[in-house]
Amino acid sequence: MDEVKVFKVTSNPILRTERGTRQIMLDVIIGLVPALAVAVYMFGAKVVLLLAVSVVSCVFFEWAYRKLMKKNTTVGDLSAVVTAILLVCVLPSEAKWWMVVIGSFFSVVVVKQLYGGIGKNFLNPALAGRAFLTAAYAGYMTVWAVPAALAGSVDAATMATPLSYLYNGQAMPEYLNLTSIFLGARPGSIGEISTLALLVGGLWLIARKVISWRIPVSFIGSVAVLCLIFGHEGYGRLDWTLLNLCSGGLVLGAFFMATDYSTSPVTLRGQLVFGLGCGVLTVLIRYFGSYPEGVSYAILIMNCCTWGVDKLTRPRQFGISAEDVKAAKAAKKAAKAKAKEGAANG
Amino acid sequence: MPFKYYGGVHPDYAKTASKTPVRTISPPPVVVLPMIQQIGAPNRPVVKVGDTVKMGQLIGSNDAPVSAPVHASVSGKVIAVEPRRHMLGDMVMSVVIENDFQDTPCEDMQPLTAEQLKDPEAIIARIRAAGVVGMGGAMFPTAFKIQGARGKVDTVIINGAECEPYLCGDHRTMLEHPEELLKGIELIRIAHGLDKCYYGIEKNKQDAIDLLNSLDPAKYGVEIVPEVVKYPQGAEKMQVKANTDREVKPGGLPSGVGCNVVSTYTAYTIYRACYEGIPSIERVVTVAGDCVPEAQNLLCRFGTPLEFIFKEAGADMSKVERICMGGPMMGICVADPTAGSVKGASGLLLFSKEMNRESETPTCIRCGNCIAHCPMKLEPMYMYMYVQKGDIKKMEEYHVMDCFECGSCSWGCPGRLPLTHTFKLGKAMINAKRAEEKARAEAAKINAEAAAGKEAKA
Repeated sequence: MDEVKVFKVTSNPILRTERGTRQIMLDVIIGLVPALAVAVYMFGAKVVLLLAVSVVSCVFFEWAYRKLMKKNTTVGDLSAVVTAILLVCVLPSEAKWWMVVIGSFFSVVVVKQLYGGIGKNFLNPALAGRAFLTAAYAGYMTVWAVPAALAGSVDAATMATPLSYLYNGQAMPEYLNLTSIFLGARPGSIGEISTLALLVGGLWLIARKVISWRIPVSFIGSVAVLCLIFGHEGYGRLDWTLLNLCSGGLVLGAFFMATDYSTSPVTLRGQLVFGLGCGVLTVLIRYFGSYPEGVSYAILIMNCCTWGVDKLTRPRQFGISAEDVKAAKAAKKAAKAKAKEGAANG
Repeated sequence: MPFKYYGGVHPDYAKTASKTPVRTISPPPVVVLPMIQQIGAPNRPVVKVGDTVKMGQLIGSNDAPVSAPVHASVSGKVIAVEPRRHMLGDMVMSVVIENDFQDTPCEDMQPLTAEQLKDPEAIIARIRAAGVVGMGGAMFPTAFKIQGARGKVDTVIINGAECEPYLCGDHRTMLEHPEELLKGIELIRIAHGLDKCYYGIEKNKQDAIDLLNSLDPAKYGVEIVPEVVKYPQGAEKMQVKANTDREVKPGGLPSGVGCNVVSTYTAYTIYRACYEGIPSIERVVTVAGDCVPEAQNLLCRFGTPLEFIFKEAGADMSKVERICMGGPMMGICVADPTAGSVKGASGLLLFSKEMNRESETPTCIRCGNCIAHCPMKLEPMYMYMYVQKGDIKKMEEYHVMDCFECGSCSWGCPGRLPLTHTFKLGKAMINAKRAEEKARAEAAKINAEAAAGKEAKA
């Protein structure tokens, strides 16, 4: 008999989807391109410099840490690049390049890799990096450059963000109207300024099935509803709500930060709860906090609750109806009561 | 109107063979017929080396209720009765027949009479005698399945979803033998003692749906139900849900909610056994994959060595990395191409290295796709974690036993986790633990009885 070739055996399914981690991360990067393009137009070449520094340092830190710890190299999955871009997105354009290096180290090594790398960290690396830099370099982190589109209207190097006007309940200057804010002609963090560009990127992510609609819709929706209900003196209810939606980092946070896989719930109901929690916390911080912007802290706080939300929102398995669950609960209660009775009698 | 269910995936269906008519392959010089081609008791060979056998002659049987006999798929001489490699990997007692290329038919099995065709007992006896098993891939003895469900179920569903990518055998059978198929379904319905049954077909086979509807299926007591195109539409539990809106209880069978599901090719095989008196000796096998120049549907006798079928299909075996029996989602890899094909092999797929997306370093990124895809509404991501930890209590809490291994979670996993495989292991661990506990309880009972006996004596 001829020599017989023995073939490879793997478990089912024999085939898998083409879309691996790398493709998903690439989609996220593509989704961020519109926002980055607006940022480069508004703040100039320094955005490109910060991006370059961030990408190089994030990738380097991830590679070096895993090399040192003798773990497999993971830079190919592009998650470090996504973290790098998101970190730049939440920094003001006036941030220094060395701050980006320090922030990258904190994000990638401390927040992500020390917990085991991709999928294991419980805080959003980019937001944790921003929180760290805000604590360490508050001065640099609260200076807002005038975007190119407003250079003619504002006769200064820096200016206040629309959110700080809202926070203080002041009327906004004429050049900061809803349209300009929506399009991105406003000061703010590098990636957050253009609501339009972020919506385009966010819809791209949903269309590509990278994220589901649940977190963004429940996050933005809950902020909108709460703002509509509570309003603010001196603002029309609708104006106040729309300004709140477009002025801060809400849209960036809802589409690109709160949906971070590692740090958000995996159950479908859990994602709705998570978005709702982020929205409520954002509004609470904006109304009552000592800081005008609440999105990043709201997300970081909800990140800490992710595990618990997952446990509390487990799906009901196939074949179990709502009545079955009720019956099981009743049976458990009856058994408990019986045991108590037995204990009392015995 | 089909009912909806949660989850599922949309893999590339790649049903390029759906337009290719079934072609009968040239008869193989030798067939290797394993005595296990069913779930249940293995058959014992009833022929010996040197015997001359006719096509369709009984060569292996077992009287156990859960079993199905094996018949010679060619006429010729028995040249060996010995353990041979089974498609699924084990060495299994097999009968090897040298083909005399005469196809001398065996007269033992005659078509049923018109009266018998109306008699459930006669139909079930014939299904048993003809060695019919679940041709969708489960290979569960059909006679036992129908016998067990008779009187208990109010609905019979014929499964025409064919939701596995690549496979087109059922689709072609619908197109090429619609009348026979409907008659076979009618027999199944009569065997169950029911007036009506459903035939669920995925909407991507619209031509077949139209053709069957044009033949007045109501005449046979059949209602065609066009179903959503989604994997795993063809899973038993999904078929029951889609057709009746009933959900099979965890750990239960479709008969627990009054349903029985029989696959398309099983119905056709039953038609041939009852109307033509031909036992289960051949089936349509879709041969496809990136190592086959053109996907095709080949009518193959059981026991045909796989390498013979591949040669017939013109496959480039030097490129092949994996051979898959069945569809790519629930199919099983075959290591040895000299094995003979068996009743459950609805497809033989040849894939090169490019189609292998397994990873050396699978990493969960918590994307939640597995949870969104699981038709049983489980949480594969957490189940995986607990199986890896070996935490039996948590595995049960997360319903690992409910997984029916459809592969949707692994298919959609960007981190390439071996989810489905891990749950197979987890189920084995839970079963082992349960068996141990049962044995312990029994031992404790025996010892207690013995101690009580001693005391009584004293």
